[in-house]
Amino acid sequence: MNLKDYKPNKLFDELLDEEGKIRPYYRSIADRLSGLTTNDLNSKIRSLELLFLKQGITFTVYGDEKGTERVFPFDPFPRIIPASEWETIEAGLIQRITALNLFLYDIYHEQRILKDGIIPKEVIYEAAHFRPEFVGVSVPKDAYIHVCGTDLIRDTNGKYLVLEDNGRCPSGVSYVLENRTAMKRVFPHLFSGGVRPVDTYPADLLSTLRHIAPHENPNPNVVLLTPGVHNSAYFEHSFLARQMSIEIVEGRDLIALDGFVYMRTTRGLRQVDVIYRRIDDDFLDPQVFRKDSCLGVPGLVDAVRRGNVSLANAIGTGVADDKVTYAYVPDMIKYYLAQDPILEQVPTYLAWRPTDKKYILENLPKLVVKAANESGGYGMLIGPTATTEEVESFRQKIIATPRNYIAQPVVNFSQHPTLIDGKLEGRHVDLRPFVLWGDSVKVLPGGLTRVALKRGSLVVNSSQGGGSKDTWVFAS
Amino acid sequence: MMLSRVADHQYWMSRQIERAENLARLVRVSEEILLDDETLGRGSAQEYWSPVLQATAMEESFRSLYPVPRQGDAARFITSDLRNPDSMISCIRQARENARSVRDKISEEMWTEINALNMFVTSPEGIDMLDMAPQAFYEKIISSSMLFDGITEATLTRDEGWNFLQLGRLLERADMTSRFLDIRSQTKAADDAQESLQWGAVLRACGAHTGYRRAYGGEISIEKVVDLLLFSNEFPRSVRHCLRRADEVLHDISGTPTGGYSNQCEKLTGAVLARLSFAGPGEVMAIGLHTYIDELQKHLNAASQAVFESFVLLPNEVNRHIPNRTRQDTFSDWQREQQQQQQQQ
Repeated sequence: MNLKDYKPNKLFDELLDEEGKIRPYYRSIADRLSGLTTNDLNSKIRSLELLFLKQGITFTVYGDEKGTERVFPFDPFPRIIPASEWETIEAGLIQRITALNLFLYDIYHEQRILKDGIIPKEVIYEAAHFRPEFVGVSVPKDAYIHVCGTDLIRDTNGKYLVLEDNGRCPSGVSYVLENRTAMKRVFPHLFSGGVRPVDTYPADLLSTLRHIAPHENPNPNVVLLTPGVHNSAYFEHSFLARQMSIEIVEGRDLIALDGFVYMRTTRGLRQVDVIYRRIDDDFLDPQVFRKDSCLGVPGLVDAVRRGNVSLANAIGTGVADDKVTYAYVPDMIKYYLAQDPILEQVPTYLAWRPTDKKYILENLPKLVVKAANESGGYGMLIGPTATTEEVESFRQKIIATPRNYIAQPVVNFSQHPTLIDGKLEGRHVDLRPFVLWGDSVKVLPGGLTRVALKRGSLVVNSSQGGGSKDTWVFAS
Repeated sequence: MMLSRVADHQYWMSRQIERAENLARLVRVSEEILLDDETLGRGSAQEYWSPVLQATAMEESFRSLYPVPRQGDAARFITSDLRNPDSMISCIRQARENARSVRDKISEEMWTEINALNMFVTSPEGIDMLDMAPQAFYEKIISSSMLFDGITEATLTRDEGWNFLQLGRLLERADMTSRFLDIRSQTKAADDAQESLQWGAVLRACGAHTGYRRAYGGEISIEKVVDLLLFSNEFPRSVRHCLRRADEVLHDISGTPTGGYSNQCEKLTGAVLARLSFAGPGEVMAIGLHTYIDELQKHLNAASQAVFESFVLLPNEVNRHIPNRTRQDTFSDWQREQQQQQQQQ
C-alpha cells in the first residue's frame, strides 16, 4: 500500500498537514499500512465483508421490495483522534448534553427560556416534535436525553463543528463496537497499543437505563423496544439487547394494564420498569400519538405519566434536535450554564425569519437546505450540486412552509484517505460520538466515523452510500 | 420464563428448517424415481408429481399458478418458488427471519449456519447447483438442517427456549413422516416390483432404509413400512417416537409429570401418543392408510394449534385475531409501517 500516491485536494485532510506531511499521530499506522500489499488488503476486506454478511451485521435498504439487507461498507484505514483534541470534544459534548437536558426540563416545566425571550415561543410551539401533552409531567432524575449521538464535522481549518444533535433514537453505536472487533480480528498488527477501548459501552448503557428505574427500584426489568426485524437498525437493537442481556421486545409483546406495563411470557405477565425504546414518539402509543400505529403499546404513555415505567429517551426530546432549535443551542449554553460553547456549530439561517428567508432564497445554489424535522439525510438540498429543478422545488417548499426549513453554508468538511478500488483517495468523513447521561456523563471514546464513499459527496448516511471506519482515540 | 413471541419464533424456526429438510428429502427421492420411471416409460411426469403435491397440501396453489404445467414446474414449485410460502426456499427464508428475531437467544453458531444456508440457496452458486446438480442442492439443504440440529444440540442451554425448538422440530417431523406415507396411499403400483420400488423410496426419503433392513430384513411390505414409520418406538423419524419426545418436552415446559396433563397441548399430544402406543399396522390396514393418516394429521394440527394457544396467547385472548406473519399481505403491511417509522437518526 503506497501512501506516497495519496494526493489530497485543498480541503482539510485528516492524515496530512498543509505541507503534505503525515501528522505525527498518524505516523505509526501509516508505517504499518505501508507494509501491506494492495492484494493483501483487498482480500482482507473481502473476508471482512463476508464475515459481516455471515454474522448478519447488515442494515435493510428501504424502498426495495425484497427488503434487501446490505453490509455497511467498512474502510480499514482507521481515523485517529489525538488525546488533546478528544479532550476538547468530550468537554464540548458534555457541556452540550447538559444544556440540552436543562433546556428540555425547562421547556416541559416553567419555560423560563421562552419567558425571558431567549428563544421565540413560536420556535418551540411549532416544532413538530414538541409534545405539549408533556408539559408539567415529571421524568425520573429530570433527565430527558439519556443517549445522544451528536454529529461533528471539521471545517477547512480542521475546527470541529456540531452539525446536529441526535437526541431521539440515535443509531450506529453497534457499528463502532463491531468495527473495532473486526479490526482486531483482521488487522491485529495495525494496533500499536494505547487505543482507548470501546467495549464498556453496553455495560454503561445498561447502568444508564437502570439509573432511571421508577420508584428507585434497585432491580428493574429493563427491555429494549424495537419496531421489529424489518427495521433498518434491527441488527443494532438485537446486538445491544444481547450485549446487555436484556429482552428485546416488540410492541405486541407489551401490554399496559391499570397504569403498569407488562411483557407477555410463556408463564404469564411480567412487569416492565425501564424501556430503552428505539421507536419514535409518534409510534409509541396509538391512544396518544399516531392512531394507526401498530408498533407501539396502547396505554404506554399513561403508564409513563403515572411514573410506573421509564422511557429512554424521554418523550418529547425531538424538540431539542429540531434544526431550528439547533440554531439556539449556543444561546441555551450561555443561558443555563453561563458558559461559552466549547464546540462551535455551523452558521444557520432560519427561513421563518424574513431577513434570513430573503437571503436563503437569493442564495439557494450556494447553500445546503434542510427540512427542520428530518434526519437520515432525507429532505435535503445541496445547492452547489443540485439541478435547477431541485433548487426550484425547494424554493417553492420554503416559500410555502418557511418554519420547516433552515439553510447553512456548504461546509466542505474534512477528508480522510479511504481505500477505493485498491487506491487511497480522499473522502469526506464526519464523526458521531455517543454520550450517555446517567449517574455520571460518559462519552464513548471516538464514536462512529462515517465516510461518504462517492467522490466529492458530502452525504455520509448508510442509506445513501456511506461507509464507516474504526475510530481511534489515544490514551495520551 | 420467556417472551411468548420468542417461544413462537423458536418453535417456528426449527419447524421451518425441518420442513425444508423433509421437502428436500422428498423431492430428492422423487426425482430419482422419476428418472427410473421414465426409462421404464410409464405414466407422465405430471401424474407422478400430483400425489407429492397433494400430500404436502400444495396442489391447489400449484394448479392456480401453473394451469398448464411443464416438465420441471412441480419440482421448481416445491423447491424454489417464492410465491409458494411452503417451498423449501420460502421455508428457509422464514426460518432465517425467525432466527433473526431471536438472535440474542440462540448461539452464534446456530445463527451463522441458518444465515449461511439462506444466503446459499439464493446465491448464483446455489441457483447454478439447483440447475446443474439438483441432487447436490437437496443434499446441501438436508445436511445443513442436520448440522443446525447438531449445533443446537451442542451449543444451546437446555432451557425453555431449547424445549420450544425441540417441540417445533418434533411436531414437524411427525407430520412430514405421516405425509410421506400418505403419498403412497395416492399412487397405484402396476406390479409387485414397482410396489416395492415405491415403498423403498418412502423409506429412503425418511432415511429409514437401513433401519428397516435391520428390523425386518430385505423384503419390503406395506405393513412393515407402516409399522416402522408410524409405530416404532426406536426409529427417530417415526411418528410415535417424535410424539413421545414431544410429550416429554411439553411436560418439561409445564413441569407436570408425564402421564398427566396441565394444558390442552399436553392433553392432545398425550392422546395421540396413547393411540399410537396401543395400535399397529393391522388397525391402519383395516381403516385404510389414507383415512388413518388423515385422522392423525387432524390431531397433529390440533396439537400444534394448542401450542400457540397455551404459550403464545394469553388465556383471555384466545379468540383475538393475531396476524399470521408468514402471510405475504400482512408481511408487507408490517414492512410498510416500519418503513414509515424509519428515518433513523
